Amino acid sequence: MRKQFKYSMVGLVAVLVCSSFVAVGQDAPPANQNRPAGANRKADEPGGPAPTHNLDGTWIGAGESRLMTHIPDLTPEGAAKLKLNSPDPFSGTSNDPWQTCDPFGMPRVVNNEVRTIGFATMPDRIIILENYGKNWREVWTDGRQLPKNVGHKGGPSSRWFGYSVGHWDGNSTLVVDTIGMMPESWVDRRGYPHSVDAHSIERYERPDHNHLNMTESIDDPAYYTKTFVIATAAYKWIAGQDDPKVSEIPFADEQVCVPSAAIEYQKLVGDAADEDAVTGEKPKK
Amino acid sequence: MKANLVTSFALVLTLLAVGRPLSAHHGSVAYDNSKVVTLKDGVVTKVNWANPHVLVMFDAKDANGNVQHWVVEAGSPSAVTGEGWTNTTIQPGDKLTAYLFQVKTGRPVGRMGKLVLADGKSFGTIELTGDRPVDCNAESINGGNEAAACRPDGKKTSNKE
Repeated sequence: MRKQFKYSMVGLVAVLVCSSFVAVGQDAPPANQNRPAGANRKADEPGGPAPTHNLDGTWIGAGESRLMTHIPDLTPEGAAKLKLNSPDPFSGTSNDPWQTCDPFGMPRVVNNEVRTIGFATMPDRIIILENYGKNWREVWTDGRQLPKNVGHKGGPSSRWFGYSVGHWDGNSTLVVDTIGMMPESWVDRRGYPHSVDAHSIERYERPDHNHLNMTESIDDPAYYTKTFVIATAAYKWIAGQDDPKVSEIPFADEQVCVPSAAIEYQKLVGDAADEDAVTGEKPKK
Repeated sequence: MKANLVTSFALVLTLLAVGRPLSAHHGSVAYDNSKVVTLKDGVVTKVNWANPHVLVMFDAKDANGNVQHWVVEAGSPSAVTGEGWTNTTIQPGDKLTAYLFQVKTGRPVGRMGKLVLADGKSFGTIELTGDRPVDCNAESINGGNEAAACRPDGKKTSNKE
């Protein structure tokens, strides 16, 4: 229990102090000069069995998830919505909410910019911390039911990150069910849409101590003809994070979408670069 | 324990920051990658250290001696940090030589090939690779910007990341 608590705190601190990276790194030599021989090999080792019902700590991802290509047919309503979503946040013709730093929200936050995530267990919930955008999500594990009629007249408000509950499937797989996600968020960066009645299912399977595999599925009969897997992502345990000195050392650089900077980027570069170059369209802004 | 900590720290930094050449993940759709534009004696006016990409703005004279205000786009802060470039490295007033790939529209905007500072420090390579291929018939694809090409409508992208 003590070790679990320590991992929890380490995970929280590690992700929450990411903002210190730039300052700390000012005098640091390039990271590759510090890289010890064999470091990658060590990270690839199983590291022993997975602990029971415990993902606590910080995990490093690949930067982006793997997006599945075999998306089932969309319903007419879903297909119409897809056409409205023009991806590519770097393009002057896109309407990706990311361009102005609107939240990824759910289900997208699970599969876009998956650089580092953390888990921290509290008595009645598990906190999932996502490095990009410095998001944290509450996954209730106290047996409560998900709210009903979210986003419909008289029901609870829909949310960017929805409402989440979690349970364990076996010893080391956490299943997170999320509903009530605002339809303004996209399913992924390709612009796949979801309705307010969509249901996201995340499965975090920990096959051994050092590895964590995420699978995200979408069930949204209003927009898709079948339930489907939208993305997978593989994470590795950041070794040594249980060292008490870790709070002095950042795990990851700060990854925040700053609206003013993003808008200026689009004005200075996106519009200038993409005019007549990507789709042949002129930027509409 | 100390060695373990150092190893871990270095590993994390390595995984996060290196292995991503500045230009290697950026497509060339919007840029003229057939030639490198060289701008000497540029004077930095502003640096935007932010996502999605770091921007360096500088003034440089054209062939006729007229000052032009240029914007050069580097990688994300996390990517350039891997080269030892922080948000204090380049500041307004600094002089630099820029090697860049200009946008096809002809505006004074370019993708960074290489920046060489007055003190000799340099960042980037002169490489601007082409679009990242994406196999939409594969079961899964990298979730970068190129993934948008695999929509049912085959939406094109600028293929950057």
